[in-house]
Amino acid sequence: MSVFVIIYYTLLLGASCLAAYFNKRSAFLLIFSLTLVSFILGIVGGPGALRSVAIAAGLLALAAMVSYAFREFLIVIASTNMAKELRTAPLTAAFGMFVIFTYAIAGIFAPVIAPFGEAEIISSAFAPADETMLLGADQLGRDMFSRIIYGARNTVALALAGTVLAFLLGALAGLLAAVNGGWFDQLIARTSDVIMSIPSLIFALLMLSIFGGELANDTTSFWLLTGFMMVTGLLVVTAVFENNIIGWAIGLAALVGVSVAFAGFMLIIFNPSEIILVLVVAVIYSPRVFRLTRAVAGNVVVMDYIEAAKLRGEKTWYLIRREILPNSTAPLVAEFGLEFCFVFLLIAGLSFLGLGIQPPTADWGSMVRENATLVSFGEITPLIPAAAIALLTVAVNFVVDWMLYRSSGLKV
Amino acid sequence: MGDILGLVAKRLGLGLIILLVISVIIFFMVELLPGDIAEAVLGQGATPENLAALRKEMGLDQPAIVRYLDWLSGAVMLDFGNSIVTGTSVSQTISERFANTLFLATYAAAIAVPISIVLGIIVALLRNSIFDRVANVATLTSISSPEFFLGYILILYLAVKTSMFPAIASLSSDMDFGDLLYRTFLPALTLVLVVTAHMMRMTRAAIINLLASPYIEMARLKGTPPWKVIVKHALPNAWAPIINVVALNLAYLITGVVLVEVVFVYPGIGQALVDAVSKRDFPVVQACCLIFAATFILLNLAADVGAILTNPRLRHPK
Repeated sequence: MSVFVIIYYTLLLGASCLAAYFNKRSAFLLIFSLTLVSFILGIVGGPGALRSVAIAAGLLALAAMVSYAFREFLIVIASTNMAKELRTAPLTAAFGMFVIFTYAIAGIFAPVIAPFGEAEIISSAFAPADETMLLGADQLGRDMFSRIIYGARNTVALALAGTVLAFLLGALAGLLAAVNGGWFDQLIARTSDVIMSIPSLIFALLMLSIFGGELANDTTSFWLLTGFMMVTGLLVVTAVFENNIIGWAIGLAALVGVSVAFAGFMLIIFNPSEIILVLVVAVIYSPRVFRLTRAVAGNVVVMDYIEAAKLRGEKTWYLIRREILPNSTAPLVAEFGLEFCFVFLLIAGLSFLGLGIQPPTADWGSMVRENATLVSFGEITPLIPAAAIALLTVAVNFVVDWMLYRSSGLKV
Repeated sequence: MGDILGLVAKRLGLGLIILLVISVIIFFMVELLPGDIAEAVLGQGATPENLAALRKEMGLDQPAIVRYLDWLSGAVMLDFGNSIVTGTSVSQTISERFANTLFLATYAAAIAVPISIVLGIIVALLRNSIFDRVANVATLTSISSPEFFLGYILILYLAVKTSMFPAIASLSSDMDFGDLLYRTFLPALTLVLVVTAHMMRMTRAAIINLLASPYIEMARLKGTPPWKVIVKHALPNAWAPIINVVALNLAYLITGVVLVEVVFVYPGIGQALVDAVSKRDFPVVQACCLIFAATFILLNLAADVGAILTNPRLRHPK
């Protein structure tokens, strides 16, 4: 029996006795079952297994402390109304917000934080970690740590762009379908049925096999993006101007201008193959957004105040903007978080397969694939980018969970 | 009974129509390529003679609609034409790999389905306890992790550090069944981890939904023992959602299998699809996509039919 094992059991038993004494039933159950599990673990795995349990518990405690402090910090700086909401947030949600905050900082200030450039070759391939390279070098001798920081910028920005586009198209179509109904509703619903009956990863692979080759050039991606924006914008124009022909003409002219400007702007930020990826993701996920928005807005449309607004002679756009949207914000925001997770995982998966974000851009999915050989030597460095993906998805899910719970008033 | 058959036939017809639309999408998407497949395959260095020869060989001199009908009638008889890259028959290459993938998915499902349903019911009964919260966080983490993350963790700890299982799932025809199960254990376990989490959460939600209904409260109030409430009152009504959950997650397995196959170098159809996409071997891509979509639709159909069979209320749509 080493000193560590003795201290380990003393602490656990002491904590469980204290919990029992102060009538903290759930804490006692948790700690005592951990003690029982440790007996078995200790016999099977020896002190090494117990040590990893202790490290895991320490990390958990650290995460809990950080999230508690972060929640208090948010409560202090937030306005009174926000602070009231934030006090109801469970620790998991606070942890999620903290992680998202950290990623945002890492992404925005990547060039400042990262010691080297993302494509800068500074040493030999797979060089071990030293004081200049925190995590060692990758398969070409680039600094792993810098690439992970830059990955926060590239991967997350791409997933965010995809989600926003999917959301614009899906939510607008859903709102319009709910208000107008009829053949428009039917047409979009059937189209989304077909798209949703192809598994998303398979559909993405199919589209990438076609648009992935020489079609991923500046002009094609520019026109595809403009076309996508035109379709989305047409929905807005339909809603705003209805049967007003002069309005339509002005709206269309403005729409063409906005679409071309937006496509040009996107082309400056992303390279053509990334824009294709964003579009593919947007097409695949907009039916899901459409379904949810249609369902949520469909519940609002049958309300009496909508009827009253219609009798007052309000136009479709007013109904959407002032009556339906404010009453369906909470589920839509939660859906945005969920969709972001799906999109993020899909893009990471595609990059892992070598079909998503192309080198030399630093990206977590492709980093895992490129350094996977290290795993067979017992190194955990290739797992760090994968863990970064998992951590962000978990964090967003935690926050979404809390928001859903709050908005639904579900107390099961 | 005729009632049910009619409903099932209707669903089947709907599924077939969707599959037909998907086949149109899959086929005509390739037509979107600038020029045609022949140009895309041969690239810029192609001579006009080469192009003409390849076009003739692939039947590209005929109009698209004729080629589509040709392709579709071939696909119905499981003949997907020849691969552009290797020139061999697509169905021959794919059929063996498809069997491997089905084996892996079945293996994972056989482990995951019983475990997740039992765990889901237990967690639903213990809802709002500390175990429920821990299970909630654990399943959420498992769902949120990309499949390749779980796969590499398993490789690192179960194959490299302890060498309990092989890291690469190489198959050969002379392996017996036990050896096969042992070799494919890690990929199956990865799939199990992901799918179990999904199924557990969905089962839990379904059961909790059910336990809130008035007749369960009635049964409790009249003094029925808890296990009897579950087995006699809740379970008959829970079958419909549970069957739904199982079928939906099996459909999810179909997609998850692609990434897992690549991680473990498993000779399945997912790996074939990824290879074909990077080599731009369109006949193989089309065939794989059609097979995946058909399986997906079939499983969703099974979920619908299962729900209709177990829930008499669905037999009389309003």
